[in-house]
Amino acid sequence: MVHTRSRTFWPAVVFLAPAVLIYTVFSAGPLLDTLRLGLFATDGAGQLSFAGLDNYRLILLDPDWSAAFWNAMGNNVQFFLVHLLVQNPIALALAALLSLRGLRGSGSYRTLIFLPTLLSVVIIGFAWQLILSPLWGVSERLLGLFGLQDWFAPWLGLEESALITLSLVSVWQFVGIPMMLIYAALIAIPDDIVDAARVEGASGWRIFYAIRLPLIWPTLGLVNILTFVGNFNAFDLIYAVKGALAGPNFSTDLLGTLFYRTFFGYQTQVGSATMGAAVATLMFLVILSGVAVYTVLVQRRLIRHTF
Amino acid sequence: MSSVHLRQLSKQYNNTRVLENVSLDIRHGEFVVLVGPSGCGKSTLLRMICGLEDISAGELVIDGQVVNGLSPAERGIAMVFQSYALYPHMSVYRNMAFGLKVHGHDKSSIEQRVKAAAQALHIDHLLQRMPRELSGGQRQRVAIGRAIVRQPRLFLFDEPLSNLDASLRVKTRIELARLHSELNATMIYVTHDQVEAMTLGDKIVVLNDGTVQQAGTPLELYQQPANRFVATFIGSPTMNLLPAQVLSTCDQGVLVRVLGGQEMVALVDSARLKPGDQVEIGIRSEHLHCATGPKAMGAGELFGAVVLVEHLGDSNLLYVRLGDGSEIVVRGDGCAAVRLGEKLRLHVDMAQLHVFSADGQACRRLAPGNMQLARHQAGTLQ
Amino acid sequence: MTTLPIGTTLASPPATQSRQRWFDLGSTSLVHLLLVGYTLLSLAPLMLVVVNSFKERSAIFGDPLAFPTADTFSLIGYSKVLEHAQVLGYFSNSLIVTSVSLVLILLLGAMAAWALTEYDFPGRRVLGLFMAFGIMVPIRLASVSIMQVVVALDLMNTLTALSLVYVAQGLPLAIMILSEFIRQVPQDLKDAARCDGVSEYRLFFQVILPLIRPAVATVAVFTMVPIWDDLWFPLILAPSEETQTITLGVQQFIGQYATDWNSVLAALSLAVLPVLVFYAIFSRQLIRGITAGAIK
Repeated sequence: MVHTRSRTFWPAVVFLAPAVLIYTVFSAGPLLDTLRLGLFATDGAGQLSFAGLDNYRLILLDPDWSAAFWNAMGNNVQFFLVHLLVQNPIALALAALLSLRGLRGSGSYRTLIFLPTLLSVVIIGFAWQLILSPLWGVSERLLGLFGLQDWFAPWLGLEESALITLSLVSVWQFVGIPMMLIYAALIAIPDDIVDAARVEGASGWRIFYAIRLPLIWPTLGLVNILTFVGNFNAFDLIYAVKGALAGPNFSTDLLGTLFYRTFFGYQTQVGSATMGAAVATLMFLVILSGVAVYTVLVQRRLIRHTF
Repeated sequence: MSSVHLRQLSKQYNNTRVLENVSLDIRHGEFVVLVGPSGCGKSTLLRMICGLEDISAGELVIDGQVVNGLSPAERGIAMVFQSYALYPHMSVYRNMAFGLKVHGHDKSSIEQRVKAAAQALHIDHLLQRMPRELSGGQRQRVAIGRAIVRQPRLFLFDEPLSNLDASLRVKTRIELARLHSELNATMIYVTHDQVEAMTLGDKIVVLNDGTVQQAGTPLELYQQPANRFVATFIGSPTMNLLPAQVLSTCDQGVLVRVLGGQEMVALVDSARLKPGDQVEIGIRSEHLHCATGPKAMGAGELFGAVVLVEHLGDSNLLYVRLGDGSEIVVRGDGCAAVRLGEKLRLHVDMAQLHVFSADGQACRRLAPGNMQLARHQAGTLQ
Repeated sequence: MTTLPIGTTLASPPATQSRQRWFDLGSTSLVHLLLVGYTLLSLAPLMLVVVNSFKERSAIFGDPLAFPTADTFSLIGYSKVLEHAQVLGYFSNSLIVTSVSLVLILLLGAMAAWALTEYDFPGRRVLGLFMAFGIMVPIRLASVSIMQVVVALDLMNTLTALSLVYVAQGLPLAIMILSEFIRQVPQDLKDAARCDGVSEYRLFFQVILPLIRPAVATVAVFTMVPIWDDLWFPLILAPSEETQTITLGVQQFIGQYATDWNSVLAALSLAVLPVLVFYAIFSRQLIRGITAGAIK
């Protein structure tokens, strides 16, 4: 750390200026501006007028608006729960298996399982849409191999199953990231500690839940909060597969698609920058509160063990 | 308490032989030290005995039972790791109780055992602390305590002192020795420090390049090293080695001439030697003296100049360069007034000479006492 | 001093040699079975798409699980895609945006990380928090205002706008990761350079920058892929035909030709292939980058 002002003042400015500038103009600034915009309303002629919390009252309480909002909110929560309860446990299981000492081919498995994460959600969405399409019949055939062909249904097209299906597609794609994060945490545990447990007679299972799992709690917490933030920001998959209307009948509508529609408008409804800003602000608050709750309740209690 | 027998153990990784034909017998209650330079295979051997590494060939027998395929716990073994390997998320109490819990002991018996061990190791006031709150020495005691509570047949120690600072190391060494005598347990201890080996071991096993160089009591290894490696590994400063040529041999010993021309008699079994052989003679630094006064009868002598003096307080170490260019170390106590560059006449206590043949093996030293006879028979010097 | 008797408290070891070995063999096979199973699950959908993109329409529907044979092999989907969509154009757009963004993120991020960790000035901590804010908060939420800024700067439908936005998006995480690496540069090195009278700029560009090269891989992984795969900002800021990225282009194409299965499969495969190639070459660095960065 250099404290002398004279020789480091201008270099500091030069080094910081470009990054701070771009970040402020294109990220932090617009974010704050969005919060501000949410407090305004546009009339038919595009004129802004201060509206206080009117926008928010509309979104949260007005029968037309709020139905859409709370539907999207509920769907988003469901979307998140599927990830929390399916994606993260699977990631944990895979990471646990991959981090077993002396496992041959561990590197290859990791590389291959991580592949879907690299691909665009758009691609994945379309690929799965084709695979699940009743027209093509690939899924039926594959299920038929296990004798389950009667189980098949056009899940993506049915109101009751569309969201779950898309959630599972998203899980399928993104399991790689929590898997890698948990894997990194697991291999950071010194071998000696695991050896000591082996010498004390602990079985593989016992070593996992009594020794390894407790030592990676902070990482699991991090994974969960990243999932939360990512899920409440989700848009691409739904848009790619279902378009902005997030059908059938808004059953796959998430906050992200709601935001898009509100901002750009669709069909009969005109887009509104200010209403869009309000939706965005609400999303921001949801994410912020989630992170805050997590930080206060969970992270504080977890101690990151350094080795 | 257990007896342990290693029968021709070998270890192979892919195509490299890491350990070759290691055989060893350890009695009940013995404290055996495996010592050697880095990479000699001592830690691997320890892990094989423990059960953390597979045995490629050979048999490991504990208390008469072949245990090759058994897991560590099934062998009745407890190990203290170099890094202590305490569970970071558990308190000292839980660390020590873990092994007992795994084996299904009930709470009260666990509590009794943990408390007893903690008291014996003076860590009973630390039972509720977490490992990260402890000093290195305290952590090490917890690691030892964790091993003790399981009342194993065999204790294994993997370089437990190397992470401690010097003063703590000495203190802990003494405590380990005391622990051994109290528990009367069979202990196998790995270290690279030959001082630790010498002070702690009932029996020392010197390893190099995956093979046992010699096994014996500390004194045996010091006085009768089996080969050049053991001779130079044990003892500090290192034994002085000088190239020499055999002039003649007899029952009682052998006459050699060093490069500088001086002749000396060594009381060793000369069966493998014949005149003209190139050998090395070894003499420890404490068996060389600055000669004052006239030349003693029949003493071996060396001449050289002092190039470095190291003052240790109770003694000096003089680094002397001989006429032929080789350097030796002389431990002196009365030579306090030695200056750099000073020419010295060194008296060699020939009864303490070692002889190593060209293949590095030592010639067995005979009982001293027949120096006169030896010199006479070897047709020797004045 | 309490004496501890050593006795045989442990139950006599029960297992024989052979029983131990079998169990280990069994559990290892189970592990591999599970992993192979999941790997197949990960790869199967992609393989289905790519394999079928090389087949005739009838073969796609007739026998979807089969590989293309001499009879059923067809490139008709590909030719249609290349005919109707500016695929090369899309690719170059994606390439330009991704590489320009990446270079800027690395350079500006390193500079800022250096200044934030090395120089002490009033407000340093506040500035640091300000920059770190963007890690947790998704930049998309500010799209309304971002769009206004872009319009105001007359950068609508330009790759420049995309790049600048992506740079703003990637800087916070890059700065955090690079700061960690910079902090590990030994103080002696910096002191020695300064004693030699080296200017701060030279110190940074010629001493510090080369030393944090491992960090580059980590940052690249976390920033490149989301930029390449992004749909949102190209859709909002640069939807014109000339500026479409490959992701957007494929999405539009498929939307348009949804019933033409050949073309759709081909378009998807074309979008996937470059990433696969890239991954095949760089997978080791990528994975290493992720696991290294994850520990932070």
